[in-house]
Amino acid sequence: MSGLEALLAYLTDGGAWQGSAGVPSRLVEHLVLCALAVLTASLVALPLGFYIGHTGRFQVLGLNLANIGRAIPSYAVMVMVFPVALAAAAPIGYDPRLGLTFLPIFVAMTLLAIPPILVATFAGIAEVDRDVVESSRGMGLTERQILRRVELPLGLPVIIGGFRVATLQVIATATLGAVLSGGGFGRFIIDGLARRDEGMLYAGVVLVAALAIGTDLLLAGLQRRFTPRGVRVASGEEVVEAIGDLGSVAPPSLRRA
Amino acid sequence: MRHHRRLALGASLLATLATLGAAGGAIVSAQEQPTVRVGSDDFYESKLMAEIYAQALEGAGYTVDRQLGLGSRDTRAPAFEEGQVDLVPEYVGSGLGYYVLASDDPGLAALAVGGDGETNRANLQAAYMLLGIEATVLGMTPGEDTNAAAIRADTAAELGLSKLSDVPAVADQLVFGLPPECETRPLCAGALEQYGIDFATIQKEALAACGAEIADALAGGAVDFGWLCSTQPAIAQNGFVVLEDDLDTQPAENLAPVVRDDFLAQLEGGAATLAAILDPVSAAITTEVLTELGVRVAIDQEDIEDVAADFLAGLAG
Repeated sequence: MSGLEALLAYLTDGGAWQGSAGVPSRLVEHLVLCALAVLTASLVALPLGFYIGHTGRFQVLGLNLANIGRAIPSYAVMVMVFPVALAAAAPIGYDPRLGLTFLPIFVAMTLLAIPPILVATFAGIAEVDRDVVESSRGMGLTERQILRRVELPLGLPVIIGGFRVATLQVIATATLGAVLSGGGFGRFIIDGLARRDEGMLYAGVVLVAALAIGTDLLLAGLQRRFTPRGVRVASGEEVVEAIGDLGSVAPPSLRRA
Repeated sequence: MRHHRRLALGASLLATLATLGAAGGAIVSAQEQPTVRVGSDDFYESKLMAEIYAQALEGAGYTVDRQLGLGSRDTRAPAFEEGQVDLVPEYVGSGLGYYVLASDDPGLAALAVGGDGETNRANLQAAYMLLGIEATVLGMTPGEDTNAAAIRADTAAELGLSKLSDVPAVADQLVFGLPPECETRPLCAGALEQYGIDFATIQKEALAACGAEIADALAGGAVDFGWLCSTQPAIAQNGFVVLEDDLDTQPAENLAPVVRDDFLAQLEGGAATLAAILDPVSAAITTEVLTELGVRVAIDQEDIEDVAADFLAGLAG
């Protein structure tokens, strides 16, 4: 049986779509983990990004921290968090099973999502035309109002671009959680490898890819919707590409230096 | 000028002859010392055994191409069968079980996996023959590394557990740490079912057997029952209790090198030549030695190469 035949045989078997080990359950597990990670990452990255973008301070530090963050492999984070998460279970009072199947991968994915969101946020805010910001100041808006009413709407396409990158990376990498008995689509990959079940393995790969691409398309649509009329959509996409190789994104104030 | 040209010609002729000579010599020595590709499973003990055999072979003049850590048996066995590697260390019990337990072939099914090492070894050789796998099982170790159902000492005391037959009564109170392939392995899920533990309904977590993660998960309380290996240092380190396999579901698990016949055919004297090198090494590996070396690799984090070298040096001395 070829790999493709095995894959189709696996996916067309009704049993693969039922129960707690079926595709729908694993999809929910995967999405919940990824959503929680991206949400938590934005709780850290958005405020930091707004501050750096609006004030123009610490841009280089922000970029460097983001680069360092991207250099740490998620698997290493997971393995380092694991014993801590187990040891902390009794004192803090949660089920140690969470310290195995959830916390390590959750921390790893949150750390993975922070850099793209952080950089996109401060780049998006900082790239807003300074003349527009100045005239808003001239009109008497407070700094917070400027951020909320001027910089944020204009920078939103870029910020959503950062969420796109973060979400894509997290969806693809969350499969690591299965190594520590986590759920999600990674289960098909790890179990397929362990059992030499080609169909299961390829199903896992295809499902992760489909989820990643599908979510990306959805977010791209969102990005277009939130692009204010009169602002080029391309600016959002250009910056998203630039985020791909961090460091080539230099907000206007840095370029002048 | 002519003088220089002659010198140059002479020099290049000499160089050519030297290169041809070296190449010819290399071809001749390659035939005398064939390269043996040694593989192993992806856990420390398999890699350690493979490294010991590899260094023993290097000591006897062979060139070894190491491909350690190929995966679980489900990956390593096909790699061996398809000729990707020439020699792998095999556990005679679960190696035999891998081929015969899930088979419909009556000839294979008759090759019982049992509690006697020599019988398992002989049956493994017979299984290879029946399946058309051209490989030879060499001499085995007296030491064994069986699957060990481990629980924490406090669990054992609290629930009064000392053997696997005690488990079904309290199975709903336990979280079982079992390898992801357990469901499809007769020696894993099948064995649990034999004791009356309902594999489908117990709470379980999927963790690779004999690894550091499953031992940590057991010690940390994420699982209450872990499928470990009997020579695993973590058992002594954490004071785990190994539940007695009172129904003898787990087979005798001595280790033996299995070698492809097409590799043996390249040797003068075939299997006997290799056996002369490796059998004495295997004979010196008791369960205590396996555990001791395991502590050095898995706890003290020493390099497998160093531990293997020390062991072999100890034999020679």
